[in-house]
Amino acid sequence: MTNSIGDQLIRVDMTEHTVSIEAYPDAWKLLGGRALSAKILLDECDPNCDPLGPDNLLVLAPGVLAGSTAPTSGRLSVGGKSPLTGGIKEANVGGNPGQDLMKLGYRCIVVKGQPADPERRYALEVTGDGVQLVDADEHKGKWNYALIEDLAKTYSKTTSFISIGPAGEMRLKGASVACTDTEKDRHPARHAGRGGLGAVMGSKGLKYVAVDAARIPGRKPVDKGFYALGKKYTKTYIAGPGQEPFPKWGTSTGVEEANQLYTFPHKNRTEGRSPDVYTLDGMRIVESFEERGGGMHNCMTGCIVRCSNIVHDAEGNYKTSALEFETLTLLGSNCGIASWEDVADLDRLCDEIGVDTIETGAALAIYMDSGGLEFGDAEGAKRILHEIAEGTELGRAIGDGALAIGRKRKHHRVATVKGQALPAWDPRPLKAAGVTYCTSAMGADHTAGLVIEPGQPYEEAVRASQDSQILNAVIDSSGFCQFLMTNLDEVREFYGLFYGEEVTREQIADLGWQCLEDEWEFNRRAGFGKDDDLMPDCMKQDPIGPTKLVWDMDPELVSRIYTRFEPRDELFESRPS
Amino acid sequence: MPKVEVPPRYRGPTNGLAVIEVEADTVRSCIEAVEVQYPGFRELVLDPEGNQRRYVRLFVNGEALERDAVDTPVAATDCVQVLAAAAGG
Repeated sequence: MTNSIGDQLIRVDMTEHTVSIEAYPDAWKLLGGRALSAKILLDECDPNCDPLGPDNLLVLAPGVLAGSTAPTSGRLSVGGKSPLTGGIKEANVGGNPGQDLMKLGYRCIVVKGQPADPERRYALEVTGDGVQLVDADEHKGKWNYALIEDLAKTYSKTTSFISIGPAGEMRLKGASVACTDTEKDRHPARHAGRGGLGAVMGSKGLKYVAVDAARIPGRKPVDKGFYALGKKYTKTYIAGPGQEPFPKWGTSTGVEEANQLYTFPHKNRTEGRSPDVYTLDGMRIVESFEERGGGMHNCMTGCIVRCSNIVHDAEGNYKTSALEFETLTLLGSNCGIASWEDVADLDRLCDEIGVDTIETGAALAIYMDSGGLEFGDAEGAKRILHEIAEGTELGRAIGDGALAIGRKRKHHRVATVKGQALPAWDPRPLKAAGVTYCTSAMGADHTAGLVIEPGQPYEEAVRASQDSQILNAVIDSSGFCQFLMTNLDEVREFYGLFYGEEVTREQIADLGWQCLEDEWEFNRRAGFGKDDDLMPDCMKQDPIGPTKLVWDMDPELVSRIYTRFEPRDELFESRPS
Repeated sequence: MPKVEVPPRYRGPTNGLAVIEVEADTVRSCIEAVEVQYPGFRELVLDPEGNQRRYVRLFVNGEALERDAVDTPVAATDCVQVLAAAAGG
């Protein structure tokens, strides 16, 4: 057992079965989360390695401010080479493990190698007494909720968990990494969903990571003004945006607005609006709280947004949590499934098996569109999710995501970029979002830079996407949740007080830009080129909305994103969408 | 003439225009006047019953309106601001 506490980095070698701790470089203090993961992967991971082989790295990196008292600052980045896209991937997740790692002084965990016996399972335990690898064969194949229930019997009540379900163990390309939330039962309902990082974790034989920061207090800032800033920010947020529908009731209540904007994809994106908007609207979930219980909560300690829902069934029992807009869209409307209750069942199944709800919803819709299942067949969809866990041929294809099932079915309408399924926010009305999908190293990822501005001139859309990508790279490195809606000036103010030194506008923008450049460089070395920045044909050919919108941006114009624009005030003052 | 400020996400029907001058004397008639010029705008702000949509906030000269105050009078120099709630994933 390796024993050391401070600002440090944990290295795990799953081939040699060793754990080592090293000092965290002071030069990296403003790196965290996504930017830290990108740097480590660019420096240490062969971009041409097999994503499911021993040379890929799994990076678990909390944000810079995780573990501090800054509001809603505990998010964790999961990074690696993606088996879904073949490029660099970062998936950002809430829950408590991120801040618990930081409270113990661990800025990052880097896992390399893989066990000689692919059937073995291991766990990493991180506590105030040190870090150790332990056997976990008894938990092999367990679904996430059953796993956590069993772990809760042997670990302390203050332990948080990072885990994979059977999909990750089967190394399916849509596999997610789960984190437990703040509830007493520690639901594994927070997922680093995109890009198949659960498969990377599975390829390392790692079933779970247990982090016990016990009752260690928050990390102390150098300048005590940090506390006053946090209080002021909290007060302003709760009085303002905290009163808005979205933070009050969660992203699921964004369904109606998205539908109005023709970005609530229906039946494999053949339409931008759904006739089932009323029964899929998150307000129906909110209305269910009165009779069934459940309600809104925060997914991580210290979160002031509280946008996560706890959803109960008709008998008043817990069903699922974090039933969000993207899930209601991709597993609901996009599959022609009309009832939020059926989507809740599907969401629970995805969380149990450990697959990304966006990728899985897109895959199911392609299967339906190709005649494999009727649109709207919710029971059929649930059966298929069970097949993922069973490892049937169809289940594996769905679990491998949209492109895999699209190829298997030889289907023409497969909306992916760099192999990753498009999320709900549609690029046909939202050109700047489309620029992000085309150019982000992540593939089609709305969290990489979402701009919701229909009718925007195309040149401005490129600029807006770049600003949004820089902003989101910084936020996903900071530990802040994007839903807190901090801007760059606010992030640098928090950084400055935490470390007791000014962080300039130039420095914070450079942090974001460098993260993007590291990611783009990794992908270039992995063989990505211009052809990987193209929107699929179905987005160019299938019109939506009354004005028959299609994706028609010139790739040459889109490629201007790679040249940094002169920073403008909007870059520092804008907030994530 | 009063002006209507359109939030970025509702500029689809207005072809990207952010500020539109209208001839109108209430907040509601301002929205209707924008609709005449740019069809598709009204349904983003008002539901089929003519009520303010849940995710929309309306302001006049920076002062927030109550949700049932869509018929508030406006003067020729007033500015009606439409604000959309934050989105998410």
